[in-house]
Amino acid sequence: MTTTIMRTTARIVVPIILVVAISLFLQGHNMPGGGFIGGVLTVAAFTLIYVAYSLDYLEVGVLDREVDYDRQIGEHRTVTAYRRLFKFGLVVTVGSGLAALLFGEPFLSQGFAYFQFPLFGEVKIASAIVFDLGIFCVVVGGLLTIFSVVGAE
Amino acid sequence: MEPALWVLAVAIGLPFVAAALTPLLSRVVGERVGYFGAAVATVSFGLVLTQVGTEGTVATPWIPSHDVALRFHVDGLALLFGLLASGIGVLIFAYAATYMHGMPDLGRFYMALLAFMGSILGVAFAADLVVLFLFWELTSVTSFVLIGYHTEDASSRYSARMAMVITVGGGLCLLVGLLVLAVAAELAGVGAFDLAAILENGDAVRAVMEENGLFVPALVLVTVAAAAKSAQVPLYFWLPGAMVAPTPVSAFLHSATMVKVGVYALGRVRPLFHGPEWTALVATLGMLTMAVGAILAVLASDIKELLAYSTASHLGLMIAAFGFQTHYGPEAGAFHLFNHALFKAALFLVAGIVAHEAGSRQIDELGGLRRGLPVTAAITAVATLSMAGLPPFSGFYSKEILFEAAWETAQAGGGLAWLYPATAVFASIFTVLYSLRFLWLFLGEKPGELGTVHRAPFLLVAPPAVLAVGVAFVSLLPDTAIGFIVDDAASAAALEPVEINAKIPTKLSGPVAMSIVTIGAGFAAFPYYSEIRAVLTRIHGATRQVHPVTVYNGVLGATDRTSTAVSAHVHTGQIRTYVWWLLASTCALAVAGYASTATGLPTPTSAETPVAMILVLGVAVLAAIAVSIAESHVTGVLTLGILGFMVAIFYILASGPDLALTQLVVETLLLLIFLLVIEELPAFYGELERGKVVRDAALSVLVGATAFVSVLYAAPAADSGLTETAEKYVSAAVPEGGGTNVVNVILTDFRAFDTLGESIVIVIAALSVLVLLTMRDRGETQ
Repeated sequence: MTTTIMRTTARIVVPIILVVAISLFLQGHNMPGGGFIGGVLTVAAFTLIYVAYSLDYLEVGVLDREVDYDRQIGEHRTVTAYRRLFKFGLVVTVGSGLAALLFGEPFLSQGFAYFQFPLFGEVKIASAIVFDLGIFCVVVGGLLTIFSVVGAE
Repeated sequence: MEPALWVLAVAIGLPFVAAALTPLLSRVVGERVGYFGAAVATVSFGLVLTQVGTEGTVATPWIPSHDVALRFHVDGLALLFGLLASGIGVLIFAYAATYMHGMPDLGRFYMALLAFMGSILGVAFAADLVVLFLFWELTSVTSFVLIGYHTEDASSRYSARMAMVITVGGGLCLLVGLLVLAVAAELAGVGAFDLAAILENGDAVRAVMEENGLFVPALVLVTVAAAAKSAQVPLYFWLPGAMVAPTPVSAFLHSATMVKVGVYALGRVRPLFHGPEWTALVATLGMLTMAVGAILAVLASDIKELLAYSTASHLGLMIAAFGFQTHYGPEAGAFHLFNHALFKAALFLVAGIVAHEAGSRQIDELGGLRRGLPVTAAITAVATLSMAGLPPFSGFYSKEILFEAAWETAQAGGGLAWLYPATAVFASIFTVLYSLRFLWLFLGEKPGELGTVHRAPFLLVAPPAVLAVGVAFVSLLPDTAIGFIVDDAASAAALEPVEINAKIPTKLSGPVAMSIVTIGAGFAAFPYYSEIRAVLTRIHGATRQVHPVTVYNGVLGATDRTSTAVSAHVHTGQIRTYVWWLLASTCALAVAGYASTATGLPTPTSAETPVAMILVLGVAVLAAIAVSIAESHVTGVLTLGILGFMVAIFYILASGPDLALTQLVVETLLLLIFLLVIEELPAFYGELERGKVVRDAALSVLVGATAFVSVLYAAPAADSGLTETAEKYVSAAVPEGGGTNVVNVILTDFRAFDTLGESIVIVIAALSVLVLLTMRDRGETQ
C-alpha cells in the first residue's frame, strides 16, 4: 500500500482531514459534528498515515526520535501515548461530570455562559465542550490503540 | 433518648476505612496488624456501647428521589447484635494475631475480617431495605473471601463457592422479598424503603400485602433468605464446609455473628409477619433444624464439624423460638442469641487451641487434654455445660424459656402442635450428648498415639477465657444481663410486654419436666455414645441419595455439563460462530419483546416518498445483493462501502446530518481498516458448504425481518408531529443545553451518562485488544 500515489495523496489529504475534524469537533454543539465524529475523523487521518507510511513514521520522520524495535507492541512508545490519551480522556470526561457537583448540581450537569472576545465579539461557551473533549480523546486514544496494535501484527 | 447518627456512622464506617488501609499497614507492621484490627473493633464496640439506652431512627438522605436513605434504627435487638459483633470481634482479632502466626496473605485476611465486621454492624442497625440488603450481601461476600482463605486448596475453594451459592442465592430471595415489602409499603402510604416506618405501621402494610395476595410470598421469601444465611434445613450443608476457614473466622462468622443474621432478620420482621402462617413455617423450620443439626453433630468425627452442626442446631432453636407466638418466643430467641454467641465462640476458639497444641481435630484421636491444657479445660467445662443446657449455666435459662414457649404453643394448639415440645426434647437430648462428648476430649483417657500436648500461649487462651467468664457471669447473675440488654432486645421482637424470668425452677411443671427428661436421658445415653453413633452412621449412609449436599452437587454437576455442552457449540473460537449466535439471540430477544408487548403487527403507513430517496435506496439494495455474490474480499468490501455511503445519503435526505456524518466517517474508517489487513487475507473465498450457506441465509432473513419490524414499530404515524420526548428535547436544547445541535446537546448534556458509559466501552475494547495481543505469546510459552 506504500505506493507513491498513496503517499502523495496522504500528504495532501491528512492535514485537510485534521482541520475538518477539529472544526467539526468545535462546532459540534451548534452544528453537525461533535466529539465522537471529530474523534473518528482524526482516527481516519492517522490510519491513513499508517497505511501509506508505517507505524513508526510519526516517531522517526516527524518527531525525529529513535525507535526501539525490540520492544513489544504493547510497550511501543506510540501505543503508550495513545493509552495515555484515552486515560486522559476518561479523566476529563469524569472530571467534567464531577465539576458539576462542586456547583451543587447533579453529576454530569452542563452549563453555558456568554463571553466577550476581541475580534469574535460575543461567544457562547458551553461547559459541554470539556465533556466532548474527553469523548474526543477517548475515541482517538482507544481506536488508535486498537489500530496500531492490530496493524503491527 | 435519640441515638446519634455520627456515632453509628463511625462505628459502621470505621471498620471499612480500616479494611482499606490494612493491606498497606500489613506491609509496614507485618503480623501485628491483627492488633490494629482489635483496636478498630474496640473503638466500634465503645461507640455502640454509648448508644445503650437510646432508641429511635436516624437518617441521612442517600438517593432522595427514591426515598432511599442511610437510615439506622437503634433498639435493644440491634444493640445486642451490634455489641456481640464488635465485642466478640475484639477478642477474635486479638486471638487471630497469635493464631495466624506465620500464615500468608494476612493483609487480605484482616481486610476481609474488618470489612465483615463493618457489614455485620451495618446489618444490625440498618433501617432501610436497600441499605440492609447491601450490608447483608456484603457479609456473604466477605464470608466467601474468608472461607476461601487457602486459595490454593481445592476443598477450600469448593466450600467457599458452596457458601457463596447458598447464601447469595438466599440473598436473591431476600431482594425479592424486600421489594415486595417495599411495594406494599408504598401502597400503604409508608415510605417505600423505610423499614422502621414499615414496622411501626405494620398493620397497614400487612393489610395491603394480604389484600394483594403478597403476604405469604413475602413471608416465604424472607424465611428462605434467613434459612440460607442461618444454615436451616435443607440449606445447612454449607456451614460444615465453611469450617475449612481459619478457626478465628469460624468462631466469628460461622458461629457468633454472620449465621445469626438470618435469626436476627426474622426477629426484626416478627412483629410484621406474626400469625399462624408465621408459626407454621418458622417454628417448624427451626425445630426441624434443631433436631437434624443435633443428630449430625453426634455423627461428626471432627471437632469443628461437631461445633458447626451444633451451631446449625442452636440457630434452629433461636429461629423456632422467634417462630412461636407466645411472649416466651422472643424472650428465648433473644436470650439464646446472646448466650450462644458467648459459649459457641469460646468453644470454637478452644477447638483452635486443641488443633494447634494437640495437632489433631479428630474426635477419636483426642482425649485427656486436661493435663496439657488445664485452663482450656476449665473454659470448655463452662461453655459445654452451658451449651448442654444444664442448670445453673446460662444455656439452661434460655432453653427453659424455649421449652415454655413450645409447651404453651402445644397447649394452645393441641394435636400436632405437641410435636413441637417433643422435637425440642428429642433434639436437646442429642445436644446434651454431643456437649458431653466435647467435654470428654478433656476428661477421658489420653490415647497412646497422641503426643505431648503443649501449654497454649497466653494470648490464645485469654480470648476464650474472657468469653467463658462472660458465660459464668450470665450463669450466676442472669438478671443483670437481662436487665442490661436482653429484655430490650426481646421486646423489640415481641408484640406484648416481655419479662424474662431466669431462675432455677422449684416447682414441677410441663417445661421443667421436659428439662428433667432431656438431661436425664442425655446423661443416661452418654455411656452408649459410640453405639448410638454407629446406628446413626448406618442410617446416614443409607440415606445418602437424599442428602441436600448430594442434591446440590447433582444440580451443580448438571449445570456444569450443560454449559460445557452448550459452549462446545457457541464457543468455537471462530468469529462467524460468535456473530451467528449474537445476531440470532439479539433477534430472538427483540422478537420476544415485541411479541409480549405489542398489540398487533404494525401497518406501514404510505407516505409520499421523494424520488431521490427511492433511487438511493434502490442503489443500496443492488449493493447489498452485490456484496453477497462478490467473489473476493476486495469487491466485497468495496460494494459494502457503496451500501454504507448510500445509507449516509439517505440520512442526509431524511435530514439527519449528524447521523450522516457519523455514517460517512465510520464507513471511511472501515475501508481504511480493511486496507490495513488486506495483505493478510486470502484473495478469494474458499468453497462454500451448502448447509452453512442455508443456515447463514436463514439468519440473514431473520435479521432483516427483525430490523424491518423494528423500524415499523419505531416509526411515528404519518401525520403525527414530534413525539413527546422529541418535543421536550428540541424545546429544551437551546435554553437548557445552550446548543442548537439537538443531537449533540442530548449526547453531552441531557444523556451524558449514556455517553460516558459508551466511552468506557471504547476504553474496555481498546484494553482488551491490547491485552489479548500482547498476552498471546505469553500464554503459549507457559
